[in-house]
Amino acid sequence: MLKSVVRAVGAAVRISSATTSTARALPLSCPTLCSPSSATARPFTRSLWMLNSSGASSGYRPKLFSSKVLYPSVSCGCGGLHTEGDKAFGDFLWDEIKEEKKIQKNKTLPKMSGGWELEMNGTEAKLSRTVSGEKISVTFNINNSIPPNFEEEVDQGQQKAAEAEEPEIVSTPNFVVEVTKQAAKHSLVFDCHFPEDEMGHGDGEDESDIFAIREVSFQPDGDVEWKETSYTLNTDSLDWALYDHLMDFLADRGIDNTFADELMELSTAIEHQEYIKFLEDLQNFVKCN
Amino acid sequence: MWSFTMGVVLRNLQKVVPLRRARLRKDVNTLRHILGIQKFDLGIICVDNQRIQQINNIYRKKNVPTDVLSFPFYEDIRPGKLPCPLNRDELNLGDIFLGVEFVMKQCQEESLDLHGALTVVTAHGICHLLGYRHETEEEWTEMLQRESYILNEFNRLTGSHLEPLMKKFNQDR
Repeated sequence: MLKSVVRAVGAAVRISSATTSTARALPLSCPTLCSPSSATARPFTRSLWMLNSSGASSGYRPKLFSSKVLYPSVSCGCGGLHTEGDKAFGDFLWDEIKEEKKIQKNKTLPKMSGGWELEMNGTEAKLSRTVSGEKISVTFNINNSIPPNFEEEVDQGQQKAAEAEEPEIVSTPNFVVEVTKQAAKHSLVFDCHFPEDEMGHGDGEDESDIFAIREVSFQPDGDVEWKETSYTLNTDSLDWALYDHLMDFLADRGIDNTFADELMELSTAIEHQEYIKFLEDLQNFVKCN
Repeated sequence: MWSFTMGVVLRNLQKVVPLRRARLRKDVNTLRHILGIQKFDLGIICVDNQRIQQINNIYRKKNVPTDVLSFPFYEDIRPGKLPCPLNRDELNLGDIFLGVEFVMKQCQEESLDLHGALTVVTAHGICHLLGYRHETEEEWTEMLQRESYILNEFNRLTGSHLEPLMKKFNQDR
C-alpha cells in the first residue's frame, strides 16, 4: 500500500486568527513516482571520479624521487612557473572545454515567458517586470545551486547501469521575490527554494511542491542588505491557509510552477555558461601568456 | 496559538492548470466539515495527465489519464462508518490524487467552473476514503446517495449548484 502523504508530515504548526481548523508544515512525504522535470538539463559530464583513479588501494606507489614536478620544464622568460603538470592540466582543460561546449544546447540563454527582463551581475541574475505599477523582481545566484549528486557514489558493479542513464545537472537556486508597490516604503520579500526531493534525490516516494516559500518579510525599499531586525515569517510553522494565500499572491504576479520550471532551465543554462567561462579563464591562467 | 493538527496537506505538482490553492483548500475544508471528518488528516495532490496516467497504470492497470484516484489509509471500513484511530498517527484518511488537467479539459468541453468540478471529484474521492465503492449497482446507489447529500449540503452552505460525479452506474471510475 502507498505511504500516505499526511502520515509523514508532523510538526508544530501555528494557527492564525483567520482559521482554527488547519495548519501547515513542510516538508512532507507522499506516495508517487519520481517527478519528470521538464526543465532542460544537460548530461552529467563533470568527471570527478577521474581525480581519484589511483591510490593506496590500487597498490600503486608514486616514485617520489624520480618525479619532475618540482622542476619547471619549460622556460619562456615570462617570469611564471611552468611545469609538466601545468602542461597536462592545460591539455585536460582543452578537452574538458571542448566536451562542455559540445553538450551546450544554446549559446544564448533561454527566455522566460511573461515579459521578464534579465540583468546579470557576475553569478547573480535578476529578473524583473512591472505589472500595473507594481514592480516584481526575482534574484538568484547560480553559485552552489547544483544539489549534490548521489549517483556518483555507485560502486563499480553498478557503474554500467549508471552510465546508461546519465544523471543530469540541474541548477535549482534559492530565489528571492521582491514585490514593490508604488509609494510604499517597504517591499514584501519572499525567500523561495526548490525542495530537494523534487530533484529526484528522494527514494521516489517523497514529493513536494515544485517550489516553496521559506520565509516572508518586509524589507526597506531599495536596501541591498537584508535587514535582520524586520519580522520574518517562517513557513515551517505557518497556518496552511495563509501559506496558500501567499502562494496565490505570487501566482497572480507570475511566480507559479511554470515560472519555477523556466527559472530552473535559465539557471541551468547560466551555470553551464559560467562553468565554461571559468574553465577558459583557468586554462588561460595555467598556460603561458 | 500553537497546534499539532495537520488537516489538509495540499500539493500542486503540475504546471498545466493554474490553481487557486486557497479556494481549493477552503472547498475541501467545507467538505470535511459536512462529513464531520475535521479531526482526520487528508492529502490532496494535484497532478497532470501524464502523472495520473502513470499512477492509474501502476495501481489499477489502466494506462489512461483520469480525474481522481483515492488511496485510503483504512482499506476495510464499512461505508459511512468513521474509522476508530488508536493514536494520533491513525487520524488519517489517506490521499486523493486529483487529475486537474483531465478535469480542466472536461470543464472546457462542458463550460463548467474548474473549482466547482474539483469539489465534485474531491467529494467522490473522500467517499472512497470512507469505504464507499461502486463495483456493484447496490454499492453505486449507496455511494451516489452519500455524494448527493454532501453536495446538497455544500450547495446550501456556499450557494453553489454542484451535482454528483456518477450519474449512472459505472464500474470503471
